[in-house]
Amino acid sequence: MERTLRAYVLPTIAYVVLLETMLVAALLYWPNFEENVGALKAMAPIDMLKDMVDTLAQGGIEAYVVGQHFFKGCNTLGTAAAVLFAAGAVAGEVHRGTLEVWLARPFTRRRLLLERWIAGALALSLPIFLTTWTTPFWLGFVDTEVALAPLMLCAVQQAMFLVALYSLTFFLSTVFDNPMGIALTVLFLTTLEFAIYLVKVVTHWSVYRLTDIEVYMKIMKRGELEPAKFWPLVAATGVFLVASLVSFSRRVP
Amino acid sequence: MTTNTAGGSGATAHAMAPAMAPGSIRVRGLSRSFGATLALAPIDLDIEPGAITGLLGPNGSGKSTLMRCLIGLVRRDAGEVWVDGLALEGDGCSIRERCTFAPGEFSLYGHMRAEAQLDWLVAGRGTEARERARQLAGELELPLRQRLRSYSHGMKRQLLFCAALGPRVPVRVLDEISEGLDPAKRGVVLELLRQEVRSGTTILLSSHHLGEVQRVCDRMIFMSGGKKLSDESADQVRARARRLIRLRFEAGTDLARVEALAAERGASARGRGEGELLLHLEAEDPRPALAALFGDASLPRPLRVEYGEPSLEDLYRDLYGEEAC
Repeated sequence: MERTLRAYVLPTIAYVVLLETMLVAALLYWPNFEENVGALKAMAPIDMLKDMVDTLAQGGIEAYVVGQHFFKGCNTLGTAAAVLFAAGAVAGEVHRGTLEVWLARPFTRRRLLLERWIAGALALSLPIFLTTWTTPFWLGFVDTEVALAPLMLCAVQQAMFLVALYSLTFFLSTVFDNPMGIALTVLFLTTLEFAIYLVKVVTHWSVYRLTDIEVYMKIMKRGELEPAKFWPLVAATGVFLVASLVSFSRRVP
Repeated sequence: MTTNTAGGSGATAHAMAPAMAPGSIRVRGLSRSFGATLALAPIDLDIEPGAITGLLGPNGSGKSTLMRCLIGLVRRDAGEVWVDGLALEGDGCSIRERCTFAPGEFSLYGHMRAEAQLDWLVAGRGTEARERARQLAGELELPLRQRLRSYSHGMKRQLLFCAALGPRVPVRVLDEISEGLDPAKRGVVLELLRQEVRSGTTILLSSHHLGEVQRVCDRMIFMSGGKKLSDESADQVRARARRLIRLRFEAGTDLARVEALAAERGASARGRGEGELLLHLEAEDPRPALAALFGDASLPRPLRVEYGEPSLEDLYRDLYGEEAC
């Protein structure tokens, strides 16, 4: 497990640095945003973006933080990280020709796969919690504040969304051989989902509805997770993980 | 994408085979297909401990599939396997704890240092295994501080060999372990195997090189088309080898008369090629047949005569005719 975790250290550090940089830049931009929100709304090219600017203007700093950090930062970088961490989990071994030596050691396949899944899931979600935890500190520089506890609950929702996406990619990695093909396919699908999110008439078909400003604002206001948006992600993760275990148990090196 | 079909037992309990010597391997009715391709026909094997058994056969003969099935890397369609008295069940982890396996086709992690890769390969085997693997790597003069991307294929093969010999286990399954090694290193590796088997370890070794198999194996199993064709002691194979003569002539030479005369002198043709004839002697002594063939000046003059060290292909032809090759 230690060795498996070690493989994720460098990509995770890069992921944290990028996420934190985006967060800090966004938070320090808050005063400008607050002043120019009307102009920004006028510049928004589509209805969905105008609505989003409205939501941000009405929700104040809380909406701005969850919008910038979770909806924009974590969803974009996190999606890339989820795909990057999962696409090669098994398919990468096949592609490199190392699957057989990996499996030939005296460990059960279940253990090998779970170790890899856990390591990737931790590498994917811990940076979200870490960067969220630093948010109040950075907000001090623009003389404003947000309660940390509900923000951390938003981080749970965000992490679960990305872990579900990671688990889907992970499952594909146990079935197919080409990690690049898997990564490009999932990235295409997520881009498509994001595009659907931005079209008002079909936006409810997008999975990004589970992780948008509206969801996070409810969590911030109520101080608790929204079960209808959280548990389906847990269930999807469980299904993909079990499917991965079954698929991997039948995999021929 | 390739996946195993359902098969074998999914249970996790480990059944002990009755009355089996430690380190022995027993196989009953083991079979495996990949789609419509029969990789392993139902096969029975009994491998006694403390010996080197060679698995011989051309590519696609089922050697690697058999080895992978033995240790649970490939799930069987049917049949039973016991290794070191333990039945193969589930994903075979309990079997892999009792044996080491070196795959025939493999890659290693190029970014890793050889030392770290060796530790990774023997992970779960304990400190002693790691120390022994490193000691063997030292004996083979492998630069353990170097990254594997700078290693040649032969060096990687040696590293894999060290990992396979490091742990103290009763059974070792080695697929093409000397492939890609230069003759000197091949000799060292084979000698290490001989030393290993003297300590009571059971070694199952696959190879394309009849010479090396003859040199170290106590017993040889010939496979073709997923089937076990023969199971003989090394002495039996040597005796059979002494009955084979390969004659080479100018291309296009009519060999009908040579074949007819050889048949009169107790040597039947087992294989024919362009200007080539493989003869099987009924008796061990080749002299009567050779004297007859070389004594008749009207017969075509042979360019080359090979006797005593037949190729693997020649042995196959001798056993099973040209179709087996």
